[in-house]
Amino acid sequence: MRTTPPMPFLPVLHAELLKIRTVRSHLVALCAVLPVTVGFSVLAARGDGSSAEDPLFSAFFGVTFGQIAVVAFATAVVSAEFRDGALRVTLAAVPCRVRWFAAKALAVALPVLLVGLVTGVACGCAAAHPLSAGEQVRGAVGCGVYLTLMALAAVGVAAVLRSGVATLGLLIPLLLSVSFVIGDMSGTLADALPDRAGQVVLHSGSDGAFGMWSGLAVTAAWAAAALLAGTGRVRGCDA
Amino acid sequence: MTGIDFHDLTKDHGPRRAVDRLTLTVRPGRVTGFLGPNGAGKSTTLRLVLGLDRPTSGTVTVGGRSYARLREPLRHVGALLDAGAAHGARTARDHLRVLAATHRIPARRADEMLEQVGLAPVGRRRVRTYSLGMRQRLGIAAALLGDPAAVLLDEPSNGLDPEGIVWIRGLLRRLAAEGRTVLVSSHLMHETAEFADHLVVLGRGRLLADTPMREFVDARVRPRVRVRTTEPAALGRLLARHGHTAADQGGGRWSVSGVRVDDIGRMAGAAGIPLLELAPENGTLEEAYLDLTGSEAEFTTPHAQEA
Repeated sequence: MRTTPPMPFLPVLHAELLKIRTVRSHLVALCAVLPVTVGFSVLAARGDGSSAEDPLFSAFFGVTFGQIAVVAFATAVVSAEFRDGALRVTLAAVPCRVRWFAAKALAVALPVLLVGLVTGVACGCAAAHPLSAGEQVRGAVGCGVYLTLMALAAVGVAAVLRSGVATLGLLIPLLLSVSFVIGDMSGTLADALPDRAGQVVLHSGSDGAFGMWSGLAVTAAWAAAALLAGTGRVRGCDA
Repeated sequence: MTGIDFHDLTKDHGPRRAVDRLTLTVRPGRVTGFLGPNGAGKSTTLRLVLGLDRPTSGTVTVGGRSYARLREPLRHVGALLDAGAAHGARTARDHLRVLAATHRIPARRADEMLEQVGLAPVGRRRVRTYSLGMRQRLGIAAALLGDPAAVLLDEPSNGLDPEGIVWIRGLLRRLAAEGRTVLVSSHLMHETAEFADHLVVLGRGRLLADTPMREFVDARVRPRVRVRTTEPAALGRLLARHGHTAADQGGGRWSVSGVRVDDIGRMAGAAGIPLLELAPENGTLEEAYLDLTGSEAEFTTPHAQEA
């Protein structure tokens, strides 16, 4: 799509942020991330004594559930465009589709990053076993970045599937069951799953194929692939 | 001038041809009614204008430029495609604010538009609580938000109450009088007859007519005069003597084709025949339209007359 000169990006981003701010259920999903993550972490730490083995992951155990809220948020924001011809109104205002989709992804990523960082700090503070300053920072940044990448992956998948139900139906089992079923298997392809790789940053030590930064890079690659597929779908389709 | 130019525009949906080599100019300053049976390709054509569907071949431009190349599209074209397109959980005011934000249009304009379409008192209610008619009004507010030079409305009177229908009629006339290009699709003939100056008729994706409305009707339906008298026999003889074709409808009523009210009135007056009723029966758009679509099979090539 060639536009000469192109529409400015910032107003489009502003509009996408405003869309999120003006739908209460989006805000609820976003705000749920913090209590869900911290709550499950605290409960899990109280429940078993193994937290001492990996104090960092013990503090961030709830991320497994917090990410569900993040995915639900991102999916809801994107899939709302694919209902009842909403996308037609959107693209009539912003005909440059790639630009629009970039604004949509950024509008999802920015609040998730913010909430993710705050959640990370809160988890660090609520940890059952005191964390070192380095672990606190690593956990908070890791939590923020990881959740943001998962949100972006959901944005991409939702744009490809064009349906909230289908997107959640794919991602939630993937994030909950597959990780639990595969369990402690490591050194296999399971290590390269987006959630397994990205959550290395939230463990004190890594026994898998990836370290904390390379793990996040793997998740970033998944998110980028999903976004790319989503861009292709948004660009090519009749709205 | 922001006319809408279609040039050899074609759109295939799989094996089905939705729009077939459409060449047409929709001009500013008048209301163009866009008619055709359901499935004739009207909505597809409107989506093609907005770049929402990709044409299989051909082009459509707004003021000489393709829609996707417009830097501020809402200031050029405002469109109402689906009344249900606004997110149900958002308020009407927020729906307009979001659209306004894409073009740095101040939020104040959203309030003005709500005022203009009569939704100001309910602007802070969620769209899901709206009736179909209210959603139509919101869609029209969204279409007019950027003060566009061209307005495309797909079945705008759908779901409107009688008051709303009168309102939209006036609105369309005013928009055209302001020099805007106004293209309004409909399958309701009576409605279209009330507001359209010009007609574009589509059938199975092909252009069947592109003419001023009056011409369209007059060319297809002969006008008639309805007359009622106390002396039907005398009137019948008088009409026959002047060579008019008249049908006796009983009860002193005659229906005379191919004459004007003035002729009959003078004629009866001169003959001293009292008239109780004398009224023109113009051909309706509906009759003309049915005549056209009935003979659609005869059109082997797109038939178009430029006004």
